Amino acid sequence: MDGVTQLQRQFVEHATSLYREGYLDDQFTQLQKLQDETNPDFVVEVVTLFFEDSEKLLNNLATALQQESVDYKQVDAYVHQFKGSSSSIGAQRVKNVCVVFRNYCDEKNLDGCVVCLQQAKNEYLLVRNKLEALFNLEQQILQAGGSVPMIV
Amino acid sequence: MASGVRRFFDKILLSATSSERNHLPAARRSNVNQEHEFRCYSVFVARLAIMGMLAVLIGLLTLFTWHFTKVYTRTSLNSLAYGLRYELLQRPILRMWKILNSTVEITTSQVRISEYVIRKYSKAENQAQQVELYEVMRDVTWALFSSRKALNSMSIKYRNGFVQAFHRDLRDKNTYYIYSNLDNYTMVEPYGMNRSSPHDLEWNDQMIHGNVSAIWYREPLDPDTGRKTGKQKVIPPDELINIAGISQVPDGAASWHVAVSKFTNSPLLSAALPVWDEDRGSIVAVVGVTTALYSVGQLMKELVEIHGGHIYLTSQEGWLLATSSGTPLLRNSSGGFALTMAKDSQDEIIRSAAEWLNKTYRHKPPLNHEVHSATTTLGHQRYYIDSFFLNLTRLPMVGVLCIPRKNIMGKVDAREIKTLIILISASVCILVVGCICIFILTNGVSKEMKLRAELISHLDARRKAEASSNFKSQFLANMSHELRTPMAAVIGLLDILLCDDSLSNEQYATISQIRRCSTALLRLLNNILDISKVESGKLVLEEAEYDLGRELEGLVDMFSVQCKNRNVEAIIDLSDDMPKVVRGDSGRVVQIFANLISNSIKFTTSGSIILRGWCENLNSFSNNENFFVDHRALWNAYQKKIKRKGLDGKRTSKNDNIVILFFEVEDTGCGIDPSKWESVFESFEQADPSTTRLHGGTGLGLCIVRTLVNKMGGEIRVAKKNGSGTLMQLYLLLSTPADVPRESYRLKFAENNLKVVLALNGGTNRAILSRWLLKLGVSIWEANEWNELTRILQEMFKPARIESLSSEGVEMEILIIVIDIGMLNISTDIWKEQLNFLDAFSRRAKFGWILNHDTSNTIKIELRRRGHLLMVNGPLYKTKLIQIIEAIIKESNLDQPKKNIMWTDAHAQSSNDSEVTETNSTESFTAYGSVVSHCFPELTDDRSEWDRLTSVPNGNLNCEQQIHQKVKNGQKALEGLHILLAEDNPILQRVATIMLEQVGAKVVVVGDGVQAVETLSIQKVENFNNSCDPPPFDLILMDCQMPKMDGYEATKAIRRVEMESESHIPIVALTAHAMSSDEAKCLEVGMDAYLTKPIDCKLMVSTILSLTKCNNLTLT
Repeated sequence: MDGVTQLQRQFVEHATSLYREGYLDDQFTQLQKLQDETNPDFVVEVVTLFFEDSEKLLNNLATALQQESVDYKQVDAYVHQFKGSSSSIGAQRVKNVCVVFRNYCDEKNLDGCVVCLQQAKNEYLLVRNKLEALFNLEQQILQAGGSVPMIV
Repeated sequence: MASGVRRFFDKILLSATSSERNHLPAARRSNVNQEHEFRCYSVFVARLAIMGMLAVLIGLLTLFTWHFTKVYTRTSLNSLAYGLRYELLQRPILRMWKILNSTVEITTSQVRISEYVIRKYSKAENQAQQVELYEVMRDVTWALFSSRKALNSMSIKYRNGFVQAFHRDLRDKNTYYIYSNLDNYTMVEPYGMNRSSPHDLEWNDQMIHGNVSAIWYREPLDPDTGRKTGKQKVIPPDELINIAGISQVPDGAASWHVAVSKFTNSPLLSAALPVWDEDRGSIVAVVGVTTALYSVGQLMKELVEIHGGHIYLTSQEGWLLATSSGTPLLRNSSGGFALTMAKDSQDEIIRSAAEWLNKTYRHKPPLNHEVHSATTTLGHQRYYIDSFFLNLTRLPMVGVLCIPRKNIMGKVDAREIKTLIILISASVCILVVGCICIFILTNGVSKEMKLRAELISHLDARRKAEASSNFKSQFLANMSHELRTPMAAVIGLLDILLCDDSLSNEQYATISQIRRCSTALLRLLNNILDISKVESGKLVLEEAEYDLGRELEGLVDMFSVQCKNRNVEAIIDLSDDMPKVVRGDSGRVVQIFANLISNSIKFTTSGSIILRGWCENLNSFSNNENFFVDHRALWNAYQKKIKRKGLDGKRTSKNDNIVILFFEVEDTGCGIDPSKWESVFESFEQADPSTTRLHGGTGLGLCIVRTLVNKMGGEIRVAKKNGSGTLMQLYLLLSTPADVPRESYRLKFAENNLKVVLALNGGTNRAILSRWLLKLGVSIWEANEWNELTRILQEMFKPARIESLSSEGVEMEILIIVIDIGMLNISTDIWKEQLNFLDAFSRRAKFGWILNHDTSNTIKIELRRRGHLLMVNGPLYKTKLIQIIEAIIKESNLDQPKKNIMWTDAHAQSSNDSEVTETNSTESFTAYGSVVSHCFPELTDDRSEWDRLTSVPNGNLNCEQQIHQKVKNGQKALEGLHILLAEDNPILQRVATIMLEQVGAKVVVVGDGVQAVETLSIQKVENFNNSCDPPPFDLILMDCQMPKMDGYEATKAIRRVEMESESHIPIVALTAHAMSSDEAKCLEVGMDAYLTKPIDCKLMVSTILSLTKCNNLTLT
């Protein structure tokens, strides 16, 4: 039982740190609230969707920015999508990078775009690792027979 | 000269640089300075270069002019002078030539005649014949001599030594015949000595020298006839004349030489010719002729007299033969007269000329060529020297002509210098003038260039400023986007809190207040963002109907808390003729007044803030002296509004009429200095800069206000006010639907015999309300404090009066006591006593309590316990008063019969009173519950109000209430609704679906606009076939940015289809853009509402409910 408590504590610490360091915002909390008996794996499902979507978008962006003549409209559309999906799961830092990214896109600043893409990738990978760690903890708690504590 | 020029240029340089410097702003950066200096320097260099070029050009021009005038004049003059000189020389030479010729002629003829005569007498045998020969010879010679007047002498010397000669003395004009005596001469056989040449030579010498002993005679002759006129005289031989002897013709040819005689002062030209015998074997006599060269000198003199200068002739050796000067040609030497050399002449000019010639030609006389020199200095003058060579056999001669240069070229030379001086001075003048012109012109040009550079820099600065302004707008837009997120979180949390059922009413009200303030803050955020839009002219005013009075009252409610804390009274005084519903941008109007009121609150420490409003119809509007309306501006704005209405005709009803709404915001604060009345409306302007420290603020508020007021076709200004404080006056042009009915409460009030006691703390507000009630025909008592109220009440309910009242019980009167909670002494426990006192009147009067926001719960509970159910939050204004009165009237009408009963046994059962009243009150409360919920928005309607403010522009009160209840009632708020979600992002799809399903809605998801349109049309067809299953969509959630067809296009398409079937499905936009222009765009294409991402669950639900339920309600 101690192991479960420890895991729970770990989980809470990890989750609060995610909020504190700005990786996530309350949109994620809303997602967690939406998860109930009818949709037991809702959060994981949505976040996985987000991972898939993000990887696709990041690839698209990378290829779009490598073109001879960059189609900024297209890039802008991708970034807009990325921003929408990241804000929907509450990946705040990714979203912030996207906001900057779109500004560079409006200015047609290729260098800025490339830098932003790199940042977005980094942020995405970070948040992905963090979330995966969170889900792992969650799984462990469930396996150990404990209940997942609510955050906030 | 040079230093003067340098100084001049230095001065120019100095003035140029100083003029440049004068234009330099003192505080510019150093590189600008350098640039400037460089430019000035380059201008100066260009100036110098142009001036230098000008100087060179003018100098060249001058030189050429001078050179050509000089050269051509000189050349022609020189050729003329040359001709003249040639002519001058030629003439004496010709004369010389002539003289020589004539001398030769006469000599030759004498020789011929002599030959003839001598041949004739060659055979003379005796003395007589000899004499005869001489006689004949004498005659012949005379004839020839007399025929030539120019001859000086003529002589014949015979072989035997006899001499015959004629001589003219030019000095005394006498003519002489000279001869030797015959005695000494032997008869000589001329032929005998013919072939002995040595003998001949010997003879010749002997003859001459041996003849010394001969006696010479001279006899004067008549120059014309040749007769003897005097006695012969003996003269020494050879004394008078040179007799040409045999020695002079050694080779038998003619000879010439120049001789000198004692009697003339001019040299003589003498020629000698031998007379040969018949066979030319020997010479028998020698003929000599001499001619004076005097006439040549004469001619020369004449010539020179005209032209000046000197001419002289010399022999080849340099002996002077003739000169034009009067100096003697001969010199008296020891040996008698002798010729002088030209270089020894007494005439200085001739001497120096000869010396010059000698020197020039190195003592070798130029024999074969002529000399012409134009520039020889003799003495102190310059001369032309020309020489000619006359080559005579045995007597070559040289003629020299010296003419002072002055005589020919003098004027030319003089003019030349003058011309040069004039030319130089003229060109210097031109140069100076040119330089000044260049200086002035380049000055102008450089000024122009400077101006242009300045203009360019200004343009640059403006572009930069515009760019930075753009950045500012961009920044604000981004900031609003970022600020909205935390604000949304705050609001969302408040919503969650409001959903909590366990809240007490007071907590609920407080949270509602927080919620409202948050909304206001959000709105202010958006408005601050809008200032950038206003500045760029992008502000679009909404056109929607709203209740202006309600908005303003809400505003005052909002500020009243603040006012109360500062002990300031917030009063709203709207006239009754204000239209209930106007069309316009409610948010902007509220913003105007919010800014004005918050401004007033800021600067008011005590007293009151009054918002007054009244209305004028434009058609009936007459010139109001008290107000400031500029009629022309008003009319223009009106026309514009009319026009715009014409354009929007489809959306707004035709029968709107336009009203002018006048407002005043008055406070009793520190006021604004009259000089600042205009400038306070500028951006970032505050009347007193020090207020920033004290009150904060950016100075943007009034600027926004004015822009908005102008946008609504109105004006705002600061007006003069009696007493301290500020009075802001403004008017707005708003259209109002004509068919809204006016209130009819007047009649009701008049019907019921109303009596009102106003027990309020705020004097101003009380005065306003009482005036208004009086106008309505309601009797009024005013109380300022508790004691006054008790006095009034006691007076009213004197026992005697009660008696009379009860007796006249048929005529019902309603007494209303409106009492401020502030009347009670809350700090101590006295308020309970006070309540007890009031309870005594509760049966006869109705109480309306005005609460404060900080009124404690215990008081409220106590009041409720005692049956005072009619409580409103302060401040009190007309609408609330009307609501109170109406509620009481209704209540009294309802329990009229009961009351009548009660009145009858009132005296009997006085102990039971309170209980009965209580039951009555509860009954009545339930009866007018709905009215209350209408009337006191701050008690129950908070939620609906903020819904309307944030998302639903056309919220209907009734349906909002229902929504509110539903939301409150539970999670399944959207039970039974069928919703179409068009969203391309899978994550959002999922999230939104779950959200909607959790609240009970059924969701169909599509990925883009095309699918959405298709789904809708298929459903329609199916619906047509089978009206029950599946159910029609109640609402569409539409993402704005989607692939294939975006939300705007899809909405348009859907609305087009709907045009045919006249149905209307609500469409809610989902967008990540927070700008209100996006909202405007959404609404423009036909969407009904607008939600921003990320989706706020509560907001979404309430929005959906407001749209769907309203529709359902209106349908049913």
